[in-house]
Amino acid sequence: MNNKKRRTGTLIAIQDSLVKARFYDDVIMGETAEISVDGKLLQAEVLQIEPDPKNADAGLVEMQVFEDLTGAQIGDEVVFKGTPLSVLLGPGLLTSIWDGLQNPLYKLGETDPYLQPGMTAPALDIEKLWDFTPTAKVGDVVSGGDTIGWVPEGRFEHKVLVPFDYGKCRVDSIIEKSSINITEVVAVVIDELEQRHELKMAFRQAVKSPIPFKERAIPSETISTGVRVIDLLAPVGYGGTVGNPGPFGAGKTVLQHALCKYAVADIIIMAACGERAGEAVEVFKDFAELDDPSTGESLMNRMCIFGNTSSMPVAAREASVFIALTVGEYYRYQGFNVVMLADSTSRWAQALRERSGRQGDIPGPEAFPMDIPDQIKGMYQRAGADAGTGGSLTFIGTVSPAGGNFQEPVTQATMDATGGFWGLSQDRADAKKYPAIDPLAYTSSVYDSFISWKDRQTMLQTLHEANGIDQTISTIGLKKVPVEKYILFQKGLTIDFCVLQQNAFHKVDACTRPDRLHVINEAVQKLIDGSIQFAHNGMEDEEVKEMIKSKFDELRQWWRDWNGVAQSEEEIAVLPGKIEQFILQEDSAL
Amino acid sequence: MIRKEINRISEVGKALISVEGNPGVALNHVVELLNADNNQSLSFAKAINITEDSTRFQVFNGTQGLSTKTKIRMHEVPLTAGFSHNMLGRSFDGVGNVADGGPDVIMEKQVSTRLDTLNPTVRLVPKQPLWTGIPMIDVFNTLVKSQKIPIFAGPTEPYNRLLSQIAQGAQADVIIFAGIGLKFDEYQYFKEQLSQSGNIDKTIMFTHLAGDSQIKGLMLPDVALSVAREFGDEGKDVLVLLTDMTNWSNILRNVANYQDMIPSLQGYPGSLYSELAKRYEVAADIEGAGSITIIGATTLESLEDPVPDNTGYITEGQFFLDNGKLKLARSLSRLKQQVNDDTRDDHRPIMTAMASLLADAEKAYEAAEVGAANDPYSQKLLRYRTDFIENMEEPFGEPIELEAALDKCWDILRRHFEPTETGLSKKLIEQYWHKN
Repeated sequence: MNNKKRRTGTLIAIQDSLVKARFYDDVIMGETAEISVDGKLLQAEVLQIEPDPKNADAGLVEMQVFEDLTGAQIGDEVVFKGTPLSVLLGPGLLTSIWDGLQNPLYKLGETDPYLQPGMTAPALDIEKLWDFTPTAKVGDVVSGGDTIGWVPEGRFEHKVLVPFDYGKCRVDSIIEKSSINITEVVAVVIDELEQRHELKMAFRQAVKSPIPFKERAIPSETISTGVRVIDLLAPVGYGGTVGNPGPFGAGKTVLQHALCKYAVADIIIMAACGERAGEAVEVFKDFAELDDPSTGESLMNRMCIFGNTSSMPVAAREASVFIALTVGEYYRYQGFNVVMLADSTSRWAQALRERSGRQGDIPGPEAFPMDIPDQIKGMYQRAGADAGTGGSLTFIGTVSPAGGNFQEPVTQATMDATGGFWGLSQDRADAKKYPAIDPLAYTSSVYDSFISWKDRQTMLQTLHEANGIDQTISTIGLKKVPVEKYILFQKGLTIDFCVLQQNAFHKVDACTRPDRLHVINEAVQKLIDGSIQFAHNGMEDEEVKEMIKSKFDELRQWWRDWNGVAQSEEEIAVLPGKIEQFILQEDSAL
Repeated sequence: MIRKEINRISEVGKALISVEGNPGVALNHVVELLNADNNQSLSFAKAINITEDSTRFQVFNGTQGLSTKTKIRMHEVPLTAGFSHNMLGRSFDGVGNVADGGPDVIMEKQVSTRLDTLNPTVRLVPKQPLWTGIPMIDVFNTLVKSQKIPIFAGPTEPYNRLLSQIAQGAQADVIIFAGIGLKFDEYQYFKEQLSQSGNIDKTIMFTHLAGDSQIKGLMLPDVALSVAREFGDEGKDVLVLLTDMTNWSNILRNVANYQDMIPSLQGYPGSLYSELAKRYEVAADIEGAGSITIIGATTLESLEDPVPDNTGYITEGQFFLDNGKLKLARSLSRLKQQVNDDTRDDHRPIMTAMASLLADAEKAYEAAEVGAANDPYSQKLLRYRTDFIENMEEPFGEPIELEAALDKCWDILRRHFEPTETGLSKKLIEQYWHKN
């Protein structure tokens, strides 16, 4: 790292985003490099080092380039930077919108509406002043990750840390409380080799190796996501991991947006990885006008967005996910509950596939790199709760399976790597039953959450049985189904229609908090337990069923209205009573 | 200016040629191929793979007739597209040469065809509906200005007719037609339709016919979209018709195959997703400028084929054409939520209610096939299904305004259901059930 000598190479092969260069000195695996093309500097990363068959004194290095290479020629100069791919961490991360390499998009937009190769701008605002308050004193012994002061960042207390790769150091000097920018020195520390190091509020951190936990813990507290089907049946804890696969059009995007808006968390990081630009734009333009459910401030105050959208250079897709993860780990280390949404991890995996294909690697299943399951596991493992800092990083990754087939390698590896699985169903989406999470096809490793494990099992059991009866009706007809089974089927239908389905675009229905969820659960449990006696003196079987259906239709209409209307505590509280009256068939109640 | 020349081609393959050594060509730069005897221009080509030992080019006009003596003249610039307002009303090939037999067009400028990514911060969140007069689109999957959306259809479906119908009604300043791998009669059909509707003078056609040089077909969307962008930057609302992107993807597959690239699914290169996305993402509503809307066609045998599958993840929904009907079940406009809240208050709820009932009806239809849907409600659903297909999924009828189409929806529900069976709120039922 301290090697200040300029190391260079020259291009000898160029194709798409992959280049080879000849070098005579030394090259470090994984280090970054800059290639001069037509006077522009393009960012690249070392992927492989090999001998030069033409020149025993030289070596060849294979690199992926994060920008379009049009105009590159044999002989173009490469300068090796000595440092791996990294992210700038410090105050000002929140509310930022970057490309996949942490270039601030608004800043770039000031010079040109189009993103051109070689465009770059400082990742964080270097002029903005922050009110720094020191917490360390001269003579203190500190090491990587220790706090030396703090600045207010919005409503957060953003700790100023010693960079994580530092060993033990002595604080030699530290500034007084003052208003400074991120380029100014806040402290000088001396390491055990008596080397002096200047510390600033922002520092670079390598992204492919994780920021350590202080004391890793199992996620224990459940996140209120506001989405009923998740919070009731497939809850996720702070620090948990979830894979969210679904064919296109099944509602992944709407679900991600709902989580951005309603999940109770300190910070939301969005890695828009290889997806539509319009969706990221909707988040940072429209969400800025929405309120954070917990604070009433603009939603953007708790967010930062990495937008490496689908038409941006493929090589930067991989980088964007790691950069976003590292920012998440940084805020976890600060003690915050961070939720990271990666949309989509399949695009990340495809970027690896494109690259390995170009490198001529022998392909694994569906031409993905052979080690893709391990890479996916490694990525999700970086999420987790930290009892030492009180922070957590929750990682929710969407998966876009080819052909909607969950058997494909990325979905399979994700199921293996995550604690929760929200599988979106094409059938439910076709029937516009949103969110289209299939209630019978998910797993979740959180046990008691907002409702007890037992209640959850009861609800799932009813849904399972109702689904079975539905299949029977479809194959042998309604006639053969006994009345009590038909009632059970209608109960399942009601839970699905009134509880699991939710209108993400309705101002009241879009978000359900735990207090309301408890009332709903009480009503659901009553409905499941209740033995309903419909008066059907002398009616034909067919008429009885029609009558039952119409009673349930009325209930469902009432309940759906309640979903959209009930807001006050009293209005909410009426639900279980209505269900009791329905069970007793006191008609006036409806 | 004297341009450098190379006098020997070492390798000629399908659509690709190579020269030995490093003549100093840069990646994606253009060279011109000339007959060595009379310096007659044969084709242009683009450098796609450069090493110190050899350079490989894609040849726009194909490689038939090229010899090792064919001369290569370097132009030292990437491929550009000519741009001029005089292009309106005219026809061009995939690299922008006049193709209608008319006089040359004097270009005002050359524009880059690299399709640089638009900075997301200058995109506007699209909020303006594009009405088509087709109820299945206007009511159920409203089209929005700057949307990118393909028609998914089997190869024998009337997808070009639908595309043309949408284009006729669309409120666009400029129409860019980009046809790849078209049959001549399809090209002629579009030309006639656009002429008949009086739109031809605001249309530029870029056409690649089946059998034309593959590389020209491959380049066509980039050239067409670069020209579209130029109009967009001028403040125009541009509608781009891309038909058929499956043909384009198949050319991409062929060329990847000629380059010995490792295929991923069904022989397509691993970059299929990124390549399609690069083109479709040109669609945008741009702050301080105009907009580009892309309506494409993707022919398919199965929705799981790599081309429609990847396309579905890229575009903002799709219109699914089956048996000549625009099917509700697999059609989707992802942007409809941006515009269908400001229409009539029953618009969103009735759309959801009808879709949900139709899904139930499809289940009943399947059950009926095994003789299981005998109960009265299933029978109701079946009658509803027939009515819906006839009156809502037909795209080729007379144009209907949104309000009339919504009233028609209530008529259909009223014909078959009790109010509570619809799942619609009491308030809406009171307001609309007894209307008329």
